[in-house]
Amino acid sequence: MSRAAHEELADLRSEVLRVSANLIESIPRAAQILLDQDLEGAEYQILADDEFDMRTMVLEERCIALMALHAPVASELRHAVTIMKMSADLERSADLVVNICKVSRRIHGHELDAKLRGLIARMGQQAQSLFKHSFEAYADLNLPVAKAVDDMDLFLDYLHKQFIQAIFESHSAGHIDLPIAVQMAITARFFERIGDHAVNCAHFVQFLITGHLPPAGDHRRGGRGGSDLTPIGGIPLPVTEAR
Amino acid sequence: MITVVVAIVALLLGAALGFRRAKLDAPTVSATPEPSIESKADVDSMPEVRAALDSLSVGVVVASASGNIIFRNTPSKGLTGEVHSDVLVDEAVDVHLRGALDGQIRRQVLDLFGPPRKVVAVSATPLSTGGAIAMIEDITERSLVDAVRTDFVANISHELKTPVGAIAVLAEALSDEDDLDVIHRLSGKMVDEAVRVGRTIDDLLELSRIELGGEAVKDAVSVSMVIAEAVDRARSLSERRAIDIQSIEASDRMKVLGDRRQLVSALGNLVENAVKYSERGSKVEVSAHTDGTWVRFTVRDYGMGIPTRDIDRIFERFYRVDRARSRETGGTGLGLAIVRHVATNHGGEVSVSSVEGEGSTFVLKVPAAPGLVMTSMSEAG
Repeated sequence: MSRAAHEELADLRSEVLRVSANLIESIPRAAQILLDQDLEGAEYQILADDEFDMRTMVLEERCIALMALHAPVASELRHAVTIMKMSADLERSADLVVNICKVSRRIHGHELDAKLRGLIARMGQQAQSLFKHSFEAYADLNLPVAKAVDDMDLFLDYLHKQFIQAIFESHSAGHIDLPIAVQMAITARFFERIGDHAVNCAHFVQFLITGHLPPAGDHRRGGRGGSDLTPIGGIPLPVTEAR
Repeated sequence: MITVVVAIVALLLGAALGFRRAKLDAPTVSATPEPSIESKADVDSMPEVRAALDSLSVGVVVASASGNIIFRNTPSKGLTGEVHSDVLVDEAVDVHLRGALDGQIRRQVLDLFGPPRKVVAVSATPLSTGGAIAMIEDITERSLVDAVRTDFVANISHELKTPVGAIAVLAEALSDEDDLDVIHRLSGKMVDEAVRVGRTIDDLLELSRIELGGEAVKDAVSVSMVIAEAVDRARSLSERRAIDIQSIEASDRMKVLGDRRQLVSALGNLVENAVKYSERGSKVEVSAHTDGTWVRFTVRDYGMGIPTRDIDRIFERFYRVDRARSRETGGTGLGLAIVRHVATNHGGEVSVSSVEGEGSTFVLKVPAAPGLVMTSMSEAG
């Protein structure tokens, strides 16, 4: 690849890190907006999403242009693919953050139990932590950190289950109405999905470093790594049928 | 100070304009070992200037007229202590440097959620030699102090004016009243409010007494006695709310160095708080541990917990997590401020961890009395 292409790739890396940093910042903020039912903050986050979408879209276009014009190979090709994949996950996660902010509008004026509030704050922290680790794994090309994200996601799933349980309890005790309970349930889902996107990002960081993509869904059964990794070679397609 | 910085940097820039290899938008992530600033040669030629800029508490970033970063002092890297927050600061610096190169003076305050929460001011100014300078300043502390000051004035007037206002209204109603029953009820309420405002003033006086300090009393005080007296203070309240206070018996030999009255007041406040914010019928645990140098009193409750956003501020005077409930729980809003002052007076500290809905744990750390080991040895002998 030419010098200009190397600079472009470095530039893309810097931009993807900046976009990630913005997302990492917004996850616990959204949880706080929900807890405070801060309508102004929610409005701000919702409006900020347009710029975020734009930036991720430009990132993808630039990756495509890079691949088309400069024909990168090996680690540089993987890098371009990783950035493209990560921007899609970042874009979806930012939408989920916006969804959480929208929930704060819908439940406005309704009190939540302390237990639900505590779990919302915890899920926000955990979802942020997942993305923070994916971010660090990518910034430092740190394989152990990238792999740790899978285990961290298990804890987020556990919090998700606890949260659903707490919603049932709160509803049957008559503390929250059914519409609020439904809103809470989808909120729990939003956080859990953000975690899944962080896991996807971490998987592509692993792909960037090793050239292998961990098999989809495998980490939930604890059978990560080892023999059933799909070798990719120089071909940048995450083929999983070899399993 | 800022003008001085600009002057120094302008000087530096004059010498350094030849070096413009690092591009403004090159990856400047702090996660990379060394950001790509290739101005080593020019800065090394003036080590004093570099050292002077590095010793500032503000971050300084300089761009040449062609949009290349030619200097970045040490404080400008890793200012927030959190990698992703640093990237956000870097992004703002880039944006404003570009603005300054177009001749605008820019300033922005970034409120970074963290954690840890940081407030960072980024400003950029064009330089007379062409080029631009950006300054990064951590104003977290300052913005917190501002918030404390504004809230304190609002809160103290609320805490003092509400009961006094109530007494005035009640007295007015009383003066036109003939019905004995009503007179009885109104005067009862007046007494309640008077007691309330009296308690607030008592606490304020106690707080300023502790604050002023005076001659610090340094007695060896028995830990088990402090716990017993503190639990005793909360006894009537806990019985009314059917809350079980479980105090773990501390060894008689465990002693702390300090003022008995202040320590009992501090721990008593923590226990009372724990009881107040617990659900009816739950429990509160009080215990003490020592490592030889410090004694840690731990008060744990399983109540409503403290929202994350308030947790840094609960030790401020009159700070209320939920103002609507403050009259119901009947505190003065000064309890935790007293605890913090007692801890500071003793050279220790008080800390809290809490999750909403799961409860809170307060830890009061004070120095252990010397000769702990000796006492136990003499008793053994």
